[in-house]
Amino acid sequence: MRRLVALAPLLWLGLFFLAPFAVLLKISLSEPAIAQPPYLPLAEWADGIATVTLNLGNYIFLGEDPLYLLSYLSSARIAAVSTLITLLIGYPMAYVIARARPGRQGVLLMLVILPFWTSFLLRVYAWIGILKGNGILNNLLLWLGLIDAPLVLIQTELAVHLGIVYTYLPFMILPLYASLSRLDGALLEAAADLGARPLTTFATVTLPLSRPGIVAGSMLVFIPAVGEYVIPALLGGPDTLMIGSVLWNEFFLNRDWPVASAVAIVMVVVLALPIAVLRRAQGGDA
Amino acid sequence: MSEAPFVRIEGLTRRYGAVRAVEDVSLDIARGELFCLLGGSGCGKSTLLRMLAGFETPTAGRVVIDGRDMAGVAPHARDTNMMFQSYALFPHMSVARNVGYGLRRAGLSRHDTAARVDEMLDLVQMAPLARRKPDQLSGGQRQRVALARALARRPKLLLLDEPLGALDRKLREETQLELKKIQSSTGVTFVVVTHDQEEAMILGDRLGVMRDGRIEQVGTPVEVYEHPRSRFVAGFIGTANLLDGTIAEDARDHARIACPEAGLDIHVGHTVAGAKGEAVCVVLRPEKIALGAQAEGLPNRVEGRVEQVVYNGNLSMFHVSLPSGTRLRAARANTVRGVDAPGPGEAVTLGWPGSAAVVLPA
Repeated sequence: MRRLVALAPLLWLGLFFLAPFAVLLKISLSEPAIAQPPYLPLAEWADGIATVTLNLGNYIFLGEDPLYLLSYLSSARIAAVSTLITLLIGYPMAYVIARARPGRQGVLLMLVILPFWTSFLLRVYAWIGILKGNGILNNLLLWLGLIDAPLVLIQTELAVHLGIVYTYLPFMILPLYASLSRLDGALLEAAADLGARPLTTFATVTLPLSRPGIVAGSMLVFIPAVGEYVIPALLGGPDTLMIGSVLWNEFFLNRDWPVASAVAIVMVVVLALPIAVLRRAQGGDA
Repeated sequence: MSEAPFVRIEGLTRRYGAVRAVEDVSLDIARGELFCLLGGSGCGKSTLLRMLAGFETPTAGRVVIDGRDMAGVAPHARDTNMMFQSYALFPHMSVARNVGYGLRRAGLSRHDTAARVDEMLDLVQMAPLARRKPDQLSGGQRQRVALARALARRPKLLLLDEPLGALDRKLREETQLELKKIQSSTGVTFVVVTHDQEEAMILGDRLGVMRDGRIEQVGTPVEVYEHPRSRFVAGFIGTANLLDGTIAEDARDHARIACPEAGLDIHVGHTVAGAKGEAVCVVLRPEKIALGAQAEGLPNRVEGRVEQVVYNGNLSMFHVSLPSGTRLRAARANTVRGVDAPGPGEAVTLGWPGSAAVVLPA
């Protein structure tokens, strides 16, 4: 029974991560074709001999066209900046929740999770209504007399940041809350007793002890944000370059499955690297 | 005491809504003294300690430490340090960094900090483990690190909240004496909170017994044990037989207390406070009651029957029921091996001298 329980996550990983990954890897190594499905099979049976053709051309193509490299870099930058903003907003929120009275903590956590009760897509569409030229925000600012002409908010990188921060904030707050609520109040008193002012206590005790929460929260935001498609598609402009849109275009506009698969494989590999580094940093702490 | 007290606590009160955690406590503590605050859980001893550290704000009253009124002084600005019951060691720092934490905050250089940390770790014999993290230490080792950390800043006043509460009995006994030694060698004034009356008597130069937020009695261990001033203190410190009676005679050099419960008039070798006929409570410590042949010739003698003998190694406790139904406990040191002791069911004579009883207002 215990073995079965341990096996379940492995099975889940195998079915929903490794198997699709293998399929993607296979497609990324094949040649595109105008067919159904739109690529040539890797292995062929001819006269009783199996021939396997591995085509690395798709990967070479990714390196030749600067569009892909720029998209990767731009995605990483947008995701990194958004993650940092999310951390700066989420940390104080998590801190306040963790220090609230136990009865109140549940209510506050509920409020953090509340947006999940509405569809993600609807909530992003709602932001269009807020940000567009004659949207709620512009009208409010005009009415208050703070601006003379509507601001261009929608279809900018700013809007993409806003969307990512808004959408992923709960994923930052929850792990931060988990590590901050475990923090023993006596440690903070001990620091004060030993002469530390509140800010010093925060820097020398609270912050280092909440590092696992910071790392976990940042990963939960950064990783999906890199591959984000919906938010840049709805809120971003034509110059917002993100790998998610590139991938979409390759699949659905160009119908070049092999190149699209190669784009996805490279993204997974590129993401796995910083995760491994961060995990090591976290392991060293324990 | 001619000089001003080092720590003066005046009318200190802390209420949480209607709950009175500490109520009108006044107390003077001398420089270099080891003072124990003793009481059961919820008696307010920890709250009193936390007010000295600055973690709790008094509802009324004031604390003066070395001539400085502590009202409005934040914990980090006080010359006090606290050793926490849970030790509260920083789990992400090594032993040396834990001990040096307060020194760095006080603005000591890296070099001076390292020197003082070494000195402190030597004092508590933890120098070889300076690089360990707290979770790699045993309970006793953590206790030492916590003490070194609290002492490192050379505080005027060290506050210890149940400092030995988490140690097992054997280790606790060793550590009690060591703590006392460190206290006298450093000359720092200690205030120790404990619920263990035995520990308070071993550690304290003086102790304050607390109950329901108030101090019931302050005195040296001998004063508190031999001359308890209330029924509560008599029962809380050590074992005591408590008998109700009335004053039958009060002369210049002796008194008689009519005690139907014990079936005799108790002869007391000193004068008592109170008028004739007034109700009183007589405190009799078990070790002051003699059994059998040793009871001969003593002014107070009663016959009884042994109900139970509790053998405790160094002494045996005899539970004796008197004809009136009252039970008295008498202790006898087991100084001679194999000596005949009365067993359960046997008749026995109990006796005590005129100096044994303490008479309290009922």
